[in-house]
Amino acid sequence: MLLPIIDIQNLTKAYDKSEVLAVKSINLSILKGEKFGIFGPNGAGKTTFISMMCGILSQTSGAVNYHLNDEVLIAKAALKYIGYVPQDFAFYPELTARQNLSYFGKMYGISSQNLTKKIDYLLNKLELAHVQDKKLATYSGGMKRRINLAIGILNDPKILFLDEPTVGVDVQSKHAIFQLLNDLSAAGTTIIYTSHHLKEAEDFCDRMALIDKGEIIGLGTLGELTKHHHVDDLEELLIELTGKSLRD
Amino acid sequence: MRKLGASILKELQLLIHDKVGLLLMYLMPIVLVFIITIVQDSAFKLVNDNKLELLVANKDQGSLGDSLIKMLERSGNFNLEKRSDLSENQMQKIGLSSSKLASIYIPENFSSAIENNTGTVTKLILKEFGVSEGGASKLIDRTNLTIYFDPILQENFQFTLISSLKTIVDGLENKVMLDQLFAEMGYDEIPEHIASKLTGETTPIIAKQASLDGVQKLNPNSTQHNVPAWSIFAMFFMVVSLGGNIVKERLSGSFIRLMTIPPSFTFTLLSKMLVYVGVAVSQLFLLFCIGYFVFPLIGLPKLQIPASIFQLILISVLSGMAAVSYAVAIGTYAKSQEQANGFGAVSIVIFAAIGGIWVPTFVMPDYMQTVAYFSPLHWCLDGYYVLFLKNGDWNALSSSIIFLSLFIIVFQFLTFIKLKIQNYL
Repeated sequence: MLLPIIDIQNLTKAYDKSEVLAVKSINLSILKGEKFGIFGPNGAGKTTFISMMCGILSQTSGAVNYHLNDEVLIAKAALKYIGYVPQDFAFYPELTARQNLSYFGKMYGISSQNLTKKIDYLLNKLELAHVQDKKLATYSGGMKRRINLAIGILNDPKILFLDEPTVGVDVQSKHAIFQLLNDLSAAGTTIIYTSHHLKEAEDFCDRMALIDKGEIIGLGTLGELTKHHHVDDLEELLIELTGKSLRD
Repeated sequence: MRKLGASILKELQLLIHDKVGLLLMYLMPIVLVFIITIVQDSAFKLVNDNKLELLVANKDQGSLGDSLIKMLERSGNFNLEKRSDLSENQMQKIGLSSSKLASIYIPENFSSAIENNTGTVTKLILKEFGVSEGGASKLIDRTNLTIYFDPILQENFQFTLISSLKTIVDGLENKVMLDQLFAEMGYDEIPEHIASKLTGETTPIIAKQASLDGVQKLNPNSTQHNVPAWSIFAMFFMVVSLGGNIVKERLSGSFIRLMTIPPSFTFTLLSKMLVYVGVAVSQLFLLFCIGYFVFPLIGLPKLQIPASIFQLILISVLSGMAAVSYAVAIGTYAKSQEQANGFGAVSIVIFAAIGGIWVPTFVMPDYMQTVAYFSPLHWCLDGYYVLFLKNGDWNALSSSIIFLSLFIIVFQFLTFIKLKIQNYL
């Protein structure tokens, strides 16, 4: 039986200038090695929820506990085990791929010898070795997405957060990204993933939570959820649960 | 240390790629120092060397007009162009259209009028002493010595020229009067032992620069003012590059990633500060080298380096840290790069204006001299003035050191508070 790696209890976030809660008393357990999807319309609270799980944002109330190495850690203490790939390109476009990887690797505290090996491995795996000494500003959208992912997994994270990792990329880049993510999952990495590409999400995720207005409105496997709500796929399920009105 | 080293390396790599920022930080102050020093050097020379360009038309029928011109030349204060062919009306017009800043018209009766009037005074004196009983001739109207000034010539230079001419004319009148006195007493000329006493025994006036240690070493000139002044301006103008850089980093995706790698942002900020203090000190070093090695090659005064290199380094590092602390605070509080660049640049220009970078504070009104105390650039410049121009000691430097230290502490604290509130630390 799989054990929970993240245990979330009554997690709530209220922003100072808003009367509406961004996240309302979420309770959730994510299992070790799971590929877990978080979906919902724009403004549903997904980014706030993930930011609190990563420790970037402090919660108003509730708790996020990580079960790692037989210890229970709060998010800030678990950061060294976490990898984060934000939707925005999170690198320095003026620097080359190798310079970026080297900088973030050192900030993660990876030893020089391991870092060189790791950088070479990721550059080859994501087919960026031939452009490793070019500034990232000159890269195509797909190449930028791949290097964005590479930086996020430099530290061999036990838990990887992915926010729209394939937005704006061609099918080849998407294939390379998912191949790497499946390799990581096979090696035991827990992946928490959010995307608006619902078809790719259906294929990738083991289990998912549907969020709207800061609350979980659906939780389970795709099969369980579609069967329960009498729909055929994730897209129909989201429309069924959140309606057709525009949110942004 | 490895993380700090990585952050510093990254900042240096980003800095090298920022060509516009580098131009702003290094080329702009070089150009400013060259242009302003060259422009101001002529003004400083006008004050220090007193070589005023003069046009002179001598219409005098006697010899005193020539004597006046010789004495003007001998004074060493003027460069004369003699144009005796010009009428008074032409002098007035040509003076304005030529490069001469002033012109003097010596009228035809200049000598005769002086001789007549001094002769009258001589006879009155001799009659008063009972030496002569001859009646004094009637005083005639004094002739005018006319000076035409170019309107651009500052009032103090006009005053200097008028004073010089008055002194020379007084001397001429005295000389003529003495000649006439001795002539009336039956002498062909003034006896040599008296003449030499009259010309050689004037009260000497010694001009010296005030100095805190009593050692006369340095003279104020355009280089001694402009090199430190514009170096300070360049250091503080770094707010445009560094402030914008911090906002850009805060708003970028890389910042979100760094938030998941604590304490990366602390290292990022610390490394930015260290790199930019290095940039500030290197700006100073570059400009001082230009002042020392290059300026003499193009006819500008050579920068005189202060005796105490330790004091120079201390003031330079404190100035650099003050500039960086201000830039970091701007970058932390600004909500966009445009805000950081706009507010940063305008505030530095204002600080420079009130701090005496463009115009020394001592020529400002009293209330502006008080306002200058609120400018960090004023305290940086004051520190360099003590070192460069006044051979200062620790007591003289202490006010600059204390103010700059307080400025650094206050702005670092403001930055810390903001980062703490925003959960960045």
